[in-house]
Amino acid sequence: MERSHLPDDLETLESQSIYILREAFARIDRPAMLWSIGKDSTALLWMVRKAFLGEVPFPLVLLDTGMEFSEVYAFRDRLVREWSLPILNEACPPESAVDQSLPSAARHAARKTAGLRALLERERYRAIVLGIRRDEQAIRAKERVFSPRNADGSWDPQRQPPELWDYYCTEVPDGAHVRVHPLLHWTERDIWRYTQAEGIPFVSLYLARNGQRYRSLGESNITFPIPSEADTIEKIVAELATTREPERAGRAMDGESEDAFERLRAGGYM
Amino acid sequence: MSALRVVMFGDVDAGKSTILGRLMVDCGYVPRQKLDEMERSSERRGVPMEYSFLLDAFQIERDQAITLDSSRIWLRTAKREIVFVDAPGHRELIRNLVSGASEVDAAILVISAEEGITAQTRRQALFLQWFGFTSVIVAINKLDLSAAPQARYEERAAEADAFLRGLEIAPLAILPVAAREGANLAAPGARTAWWRGNTLLAEIEAIETHRDDANAPLRMVVQDVYRRGATRWIVGRIDCGTIARGDALTFWPLRTTARVARIVRWPDDVERASAGAAVALELDERIFVDRGAIATHEDSGPTTGHAISAALLWLGERPARAGANLRMRLGTREIAVTIARIDETFEPEDGRGRAAEEARAGDIAAVTLVARETIAADPALPASSISRFILLDEGRVVAGGKVRAVAATVRGEGATNIVAARSSVGRDERGARNGHRGYVFWLTGLPSSGKSTIAMHVERMLFERGRHVYVLDGDTLRTTLNVDLGFTEEDRRENVRRIAAIAGIFADAGIVVLTALISPYAADREQARAACAAGFAEIYVRCDLETAEKRDVKGHYRRARAGELERFTGVSAPYEAPQRPDLVLDTTHESVEASAAAFVEFIERTIRHAE
Repeated sequence: MERSHLPDDLETLESQSIYILREAFARIDRPAMLWSIGKDSTALLWMVRKAFLGEVPFPLVLLDTGMEFSEVYAFRDRLVREWSLPILNEACPPESAVDQSLPSAARHAARKTAGLRALLERERYRAIVLGIRRDEQAIRAKERVFSPRNADGSWDPQRQPPELWDYYCTEVPDGAHVRVHPLLHWTERDIWRYTQAEGIPFVSLYLARNGQRYRSLGESNITFPIPSEADTIEKIVAELATTREPERAGRAMDGESEDAFERLRAGGYM
Repeated sequence: MSALRVVMFGDVDAGKSTILGRLMVDCGYVPRQKLDEMERSSERRGVPMEYSFLLDAFQIERDQAITLDSSRIWLRTAKREIVFVDAPGHRELIRNLVSGASEVDAAILVISAEEGITAQTRRQALFLQWFGFTSVIVAINKLDLSAAPQARYEERAAEADAFLRGLEIAPLAILPVAAREGANLAAPGARTAWWRGNTLLAEIEAIETHRDDANAPLRMVVQDVYRRGATRWIVGRIDCGTIARGDALTFWPLRTTARVARIVRWPDDVERASAGAAVALELDERIFVDRGAIATHEDSGPTTGHAISAALLWLGERPARAGANLRMRLGTREIAVTIARIDETFEPEDGRGRAAEEARAGDIAAVTLVARETIAADPALPASSISRFILLDEGRVVAGGKVRAVAATVRGEGATNIVAARSSVGRDERGARNGHRGYVFWLTGLPSSGKSTIAMHVERMLFERGRHVYVLDGDTLRTTLNVDLGFTEEDRRENVRRIAAIAGIFADAGIVVLTALISPYAADREQARAACAAGFAEIYVRCDLETAEKRDVKGHYRRARAGELERFTGVSAPYEAPQRPDLVLDTTHESVEASAAAFVEFIERTIRHAE
């Protein structure tokens, strides 16, 4: 039977993402996907199952700092069970192991970068699929869909390859990898409309309780809720149509210094 | 409705990022927190409020006050959701500019009222033309720096209009703005109070993007084949057209065929799917299909051959030269190709092609590429993935390309290693000596429409005027050069290809060539255009069938009606009239003399040698 159709604009976004996922899978050996268990990477996971006809043909990695919200861990366990997901829980190194010149919240975030680097060294993944979007943050707005990384995992934004039409850069030098960003062209509001239209499960922390909700989920020690009455997806979509606050306002690491996010990303952060 | 995607073009410092930053602020889109951050960042650098910092997020961009990489920003108005792509203006950063510009609906060309049309503006306008943008808005910025803004605007607008029309770009509007003051961006401003037209935002909101891709010929790029249980699923994306269950599909370039048994958009089966959709197909037969194939309906396939003429936007650090071996990505296929010849490069000064030995980064060049494998491509279907490609040299992207024509087979082993020798005398030199350019005027029309009559008449007139002129007549050449050809579609194509090749050589030699042959297929005529790099004009000799049949100079119509002549154009074979001919000669109503006079006037205007 045919289900009710997605709105045209969401169907277009979804098809583009599926095209990108299939390109990554066809052209690059040893892909893996980062699943932060947030709304974006869970919507992306939904599209992975569509792209590969119900399968998830590569490992799903959680870069685990041990500091995620308990609701997040519970949600992970539920989906892994229900969808038979190939999960790989990667424990991240302690804060003492990261660049101490970064501001304090950024140091927490940098633990994930260090965890990813260790994972890449061990597993030799050549493509890392992840659910960042251009509208989240001005540095991410400059990303390519396929973004090559140096052998040490670092990003050289001054020397990004040209990306013409949908001919993505899939040439990976030995030891290096490519970040694949299938959601780059989506907005936060698109993600919520899609999550609603498709009935995709999500962590309940995004919905308002007692006048507060999480708009972006990071580690529990450096992420704060925003004031909100949006206790349903409909209300979130309505809230996003009018809000002027940035999505990551509740992420302490972004605002510590002007260059904090750029430094994190150049070092290999997501 | 999908978001409208708009890219900013223009020279360094024309104010592209400032326009966007200020527009976002004026639309109330920038939160207090972000404004504070921008103010602090501007203060720290000792400059007044810098609106461009909204997009120029890299530290080095702020320190040097330039955009290095393209960026995206979203604006939702009451009427439209808009994604702006901000792109750098520096020539050295073209790879970043093109990354921003290749997937958008419209472009805004920003020109500084102080600087006017600079060399870099001219180059970027060539890119606009190359990308094929039909929606272009021009913003004349920095009018706040002028003592007489209205007069300055009018002067710059006239320059811009003349310049763009020379490139066959018709701007939707040419607007005055003063971005730092927000004048005429989201709302009218004091500085532009005399302006009676739209604001920039209103003009953008009115851009129409409707493309009827679902009703175009079908093209589906095959990305992969997945096995699930006993089923092989052909997965890919529909670029244009529609697939319905039960359709017979042809997979190119191997031309295998099968019917569609199931169409799946997992987890649902669907009856049909259209342009843009990512799908999985099960076929009714086990045929060989793999990544790189293109599926079409049987009757509307792509053009195949071993040689492609293409317009390249060269990005490589090393210049492009004949003989270079590169890899082409066309759709999902990868093909080894050789640059057989650089036909010409296009000069930013006037958009005209000039013979060249090499193409440098930032140049647009017409080239001929050859491959050993059969290439299937679409010269005239912009929605198709195989109408455009990239070239790689040792894994690095060195060019974007648009297919202009797929030439007939290059015969024989080793043909891909042929490197054309280049004449030691340039086209311009010949033009200077002859007093006119070499050019091909391609007459097409029904049998007995008057092509040969007019061509011979005009040949005499031009000769009397001292022009180097020659007529290539289709019927005459069928007794010599093309004596081996009949009237099937394939033979007609070869007939056109040969005559076009000769016409191209004559024109290169400085001669005005008039060709007179039916050339019934539009695609073949497009191939002919591509083969005539010196210059080509399509002349439609229009005559209604009834009149042509009444004339029946050679008695062919009568014989065709009697069934004595097979495949006779107009009776038992199709004629595809030109959609956009360069000149129409109406011989139903005009005398031969009147048509000839109009034609001579057109030719004289076209072949005038630029001093």
